[in-house]
Amino acid sequence: MSVIRQGIATIQRSLRADRAHGAWLAGFLLAAGLLALPSIGLAGEGAAAGPTEYRDIPYIGSRNLVWIVAQLHLLLAGFVLGVPIFAWLCEVIAWRGGEQRYDKLAKEFTKLLTSAYATTALFGGILLFLLVAFYPKLMNYLTDIFFPSFLLYCLLFLFETATLYLYWYGWDAMQYGRKKTLHVFLGFLLNFFALFIMIVPNAWATFQSSPVVISEGTAFERAWAATWNPTWWPINIHRLIANVVLGGYICGAYAGVRYLSAKYKEDREHYDWMGYVGNFIGVFGLLALPFAGYWLMREIYQYNQQMGITLMGGFLSWLFIIQAMLIGVLFLGSNYYFWLGITYRIPGSQAKYRRPIFWMLVSLLFCLAVWMTPHSLVASIEEAQKMGGAHHPLLGVLGVMSAKMTVSNLMILITFMSFVMYWRAGKQDAAGWAKLGKAVMGAVLVLASLAVVVLGVWGYFVPAIVRINYFSTSQVLIVIFVILTITPLTALLLKSAKTTTEMVWGNMPPRAGYSLVLNAVMVILLMTLMGYARSSSRVHWHVYGVMRDSSPYAYSPALGSASLIMAFCTFFFCILVAFIFWVATMGDKAKAAQGAGKTDLPHGIPAIAGGAPDREGGQ
Amino acid sequence: MSEIAQLQLIALAIVGFGILILLFIKSNFFRVTGFVSIVLGLFSLMSLAVPQMASLPPAEETIDIAAIKTPTDIAALGQTIFFSKGQCALCHSIGPSESARCPDLKGIGAKLSREFLYESLTDPAAFLYRDYRHGGVPKEYPATMPRIDKDPIGLSNNEILAVIAFLQQMSGEPISISVSELEVPGQAPSAPVKTAESAPVAVAQAQ
Repeated sequence: MSVIRQGIATIQRSLRADRAHGAWLAGFLLAAGLLALPSIGLAGEGAAAGPTEYRDIPYIGSRNLVWIVAQLHLLLAGFVLGVPIFAWLCEVIAWRGGEQRYDKLAKEFTKLLTSAYATTALFGGILLFLLVAFYPKLMNYLTDIFFPSFLLYCLLFLFETATLYLYWYGWDAMQYGRKKTLHVFLGFLLNFFALFIMIVPNAWATFQSSPVVISEGTAFERAWAATWNPTWWPINIHRLIANVVLGGYICGAYAGVRYLSAKYKEDREHYDWMGYVGNFIGVFGLLALPFAGYWLMREIYQYNQQMGITLMGGFLSWLFIIQAMLIGVLFLGSNYYFWLGITYRIPGSQAKYRRPIFWMLVSLLFCLAVWMTPHSLVASIEEAQKMGGAHHPLLGVLGVMSAKMTVSNLMILITFMSFVMYWRAGKQDAAGWAKLGKAVMGAVLVLASLAVVVLGVWGYFVPAIVRINYFSTSQVLIVIFVILTITPLTALLLKSAKTTTEMVWGNMPPRAGYSLVLNAVMVILLMTLMGYARSSSRVHWHVYGVMRDSSPYAYSPALGSASLIMAFCTFFFCILVAFIFWVATMGDKAKAAQGAGKTDLPHGIPAIAGGAPDREGGQ
Repeated sequence: MSEIAQLQLIALAIVGFGILILLFIKSNFFRVTGFVSIVLGLFSLMSLAVPQMASLPPAEETIDIAAIKTPTDIAALGQTIFFSKGQCALCHSIGPSESARCPDLKGIGAKLSREFLYESLTDPAAFLYRDYRHGGVPKEYPATMPRIDKDPIGLSNNEILAVIAFLQQMSGEPISISVSELEVPGQAPSAPVKTAESAPVAVAQAQ
């Protein structure tokens, strides 16, 4: 023990000597060590008794510990995979459009990746040790099936790490000409490897829910069959989009926090603009997310009815009411931020847009109320007798999928129109075909909304299979059609439009910063909630229908107690991300302090509406 | 104090903690932390307000063959299995129902032979619509019948026979399953719930 104490003291001394912040890192290392200690001790006990199926840890329990670490690893992984997409998109915008502030934004976020990547790997390592220690039988079984993909995963990590180093450290060296093209290609490669780093472990996780096990063939063939399981691609697509959403909203939240603390005008302008970009990318992904979620749920139903019913009609059914609430708040928060932008960034437009904003708010609240309506109500026996069952005679009609699909599509349409309204604010059409173009867009929107509602109402009168296979799919296609029609038309219209009011950055009220934070928290909570749903849908199986969970934890906790673990994971993840941002920007603050002394300017790039040249461009 | 009440208190304390920070702390970072605490506390309170349902693993039920004396006892056992471990009522109704995802089983014991019922439960795709005729266009159902003797439901042979007895009884038919047909543990192999040890290479892909 004295050797260990000496070792710890040496590490702490060296960290203190380096910088005061090393104490944080030492704390993390000690925490990781402490987490691993019980598993080592308990592993010894298991080994003496022969083959061990499970090990446990006192007080917190092995399942809860694995749950928390796995959730944090997944959230960090989502962040690490979402940020490069976000950064690369910004870099491409700067590369093609010439607005250097996007390039600086991309660089600012890529800088986070090195520390975030290490933290994600740290949690991945802890998770692996805990799984091997607590679930040896399951891990043995999964290793037997997925061994070839484990090797592939290691290779992908090597490629990803090398590409990340080149991408980050080569940023300044590869700024111009062909080198910039190469740098953009490196960014693409980074995301390409990141995609595979995501989909390989997705195969392991989805295999547990929808296993395909074959007894014949080589190890590679068996691994391939298990990988290509029915829910693999739906999860891949869903997580890919969700990572973009997470990356965007976390960028927004970071900008929101910095905006609230900004002391200088330039900082306020910069972080206001950054918040706008983050929110825009978050919303951009959010519009597509329900479609991906619908496809995933459909695949689950097609794979196994019981699993689908467990999720949507069984003990997890109330979870979807909570999910509706979170998504609803996210939609409201995103729209609210757009509306604040119209009001405060475009002077004089408040009166013009007050009425449409009011009706959009009313419509969103109505849609949210319908989405949150449960199919069956919690009622006493007397109340149930009065209602004639658990279904309310009026509200029961709104608690079914037909109504919920309709309002979710309408909410997407409203949010899209909020964005279009923000886009068009402060501009006057100058094109000769502007009147016709606006009429076409209006007609498309009205007809599409009507079609979504008609299909929703019609859905009550057709068999479920027709509604699921044709009506719901048609509703989704209609909304996609609206987005794909109105976006290019608006872009074309605005190309020749005159700017009547310049956008003014940095005037947003503090509540705009809080709304950005709220959006990020909602996305993280949604991810933790759906992680619980996906895991619980397997009920008492490690691998559904193949390997039964025979541990004392072969049950799924009720939503209430699970929600506290979800809240803890969300809070801890936020603290981790804040820590990563703090560590990554420490150097900037020091540089800014030096720079401010020389030029009396704070750090941050002045961002003016209409793509005004930044400080470097202007020099 | 109930567990729910304790959890609600914790969630309320988190909200209160956030409110206190917003009221008394000036630092923006801590104020945002307080705001996040309020949001998380409210989320937990909302989650605690909905019906709390945990999913417990099914008990390893053992059938006491000695307690079953008559075919009616077998049917009673089958009724229990129909609404619990067998999960039949998740999709099927007995009598017309708007919410049923699969065919109404009212009178099914009279329409189908015992052998056909057994085959429909253990190999549902063997014969479609052979004896079970509809008037007009066959109705399409969103659900597909799983093999009931395989995981994840995994009914034993005795349990399947009991379900058939129940279907016959509720259709007004004489029960054709006799007590002597039930396998007594130790005398004949039953079909327990298979785990990965007993079926390490089971093909578990749903039909």
